Amino acid sequence: MAARVLKQCVRSLARPSLGLFPVNLALRAAVAPAVSVHRPFAFAADSRRMRWLGQSRISSVELLCRQYGDLPPLTLETIKDRVMYVLKLYDKINPEKIQATSHFMKDLGLDSLDQVEIIMAMEDEFGFEIPDAEAEKLMTPEEIVQYIAEKKDVYE
Amino acid sequence: MASTAVTRTAAGAAKVVKPVFSRDLDEAKRRVRELYRAWYREVPNAVAMFQLDITTRQGRDKVREMFDKNKHVTDPRVIDMQVIKGKMELQETIHIWKQKTHVMRYFQESKEPRATDFLSKFYKGHDP
Repeated sequence: MAARVLKQCVRSLARPSLGLFPVNLALRAAVAPAVSVHRPFAFAADSRRMRWLGQSRISSVELLCRQYGDLPPLTLETIKDRVMYVLKLYDKINPEKIQATSHFMKDLGLDSLDQVEIIMAMEDEFGFEIPDAEAEKLMTPEEIVQYIAEKKDVYE
Repeated sequence: MASTAVTRTAAGAAKVVKPVFSRDLDEAKRRVRELYRAWYREVPNAVAMFQLDITTRQGRDKVREMFDKNKHVTDPRVIDMQVIKGKMELQETIHIWKQKTHVMRYFQESKEPRATDFLSKFYKGHDP
């Protein structure tokens, strides 16, 4: 919702500075899928910015299109897709047989050290440490997705 | 050494012994997993630092092989001692106190495999 309002404002203000426009569209395209995630703080900041700009009439497009260095927000589907992608790349797993509920040790016949390798691959993918006490309990892709969602505060 | 022997004989059939680090098998396995993680992450750095002629995958397979050699151990104290030795090796590798030859010794490239069939043993001079 905030993105759509921003889009309209940007289109009205950015006509003279066409150089910035394609960059903004790319930004909006990245932010658009995340519109479902409710972000009250960002919306308040945007509305504040909107009011200030409306009063002062300065076409400071740079202020509207502040490019924060952050990753796109996580959703349960994207986490699941990334987890399954990483698992399919692992050479000891058959990519056709892997499902969301397949147990690493019982269904896929992997070792405990293989499971450690898988958890390390997940650490590298999502960029945060998973301590071993909790990592030894993650035995299916579904559990991994739930754990990551728990740690990263992703909910539906 | 003497104290552990005394505790072992004193306990008798109960077999309660003074632990090295971990009290039960789960804790020992946790230490093994931590050591495996550290070695797994260290392999690409070692290959770069020592300028080894192996790929990262070969290095990691060798690490897995060394861990699998002791897979059958069930005594937590034995596992702890092996984890301690593994940590010593890891420290020497990380700080580059070893040299390239010491790291390549894991791969045992210059050793010839022992002869198994009769004719090879005969040529070497061993009795069958």
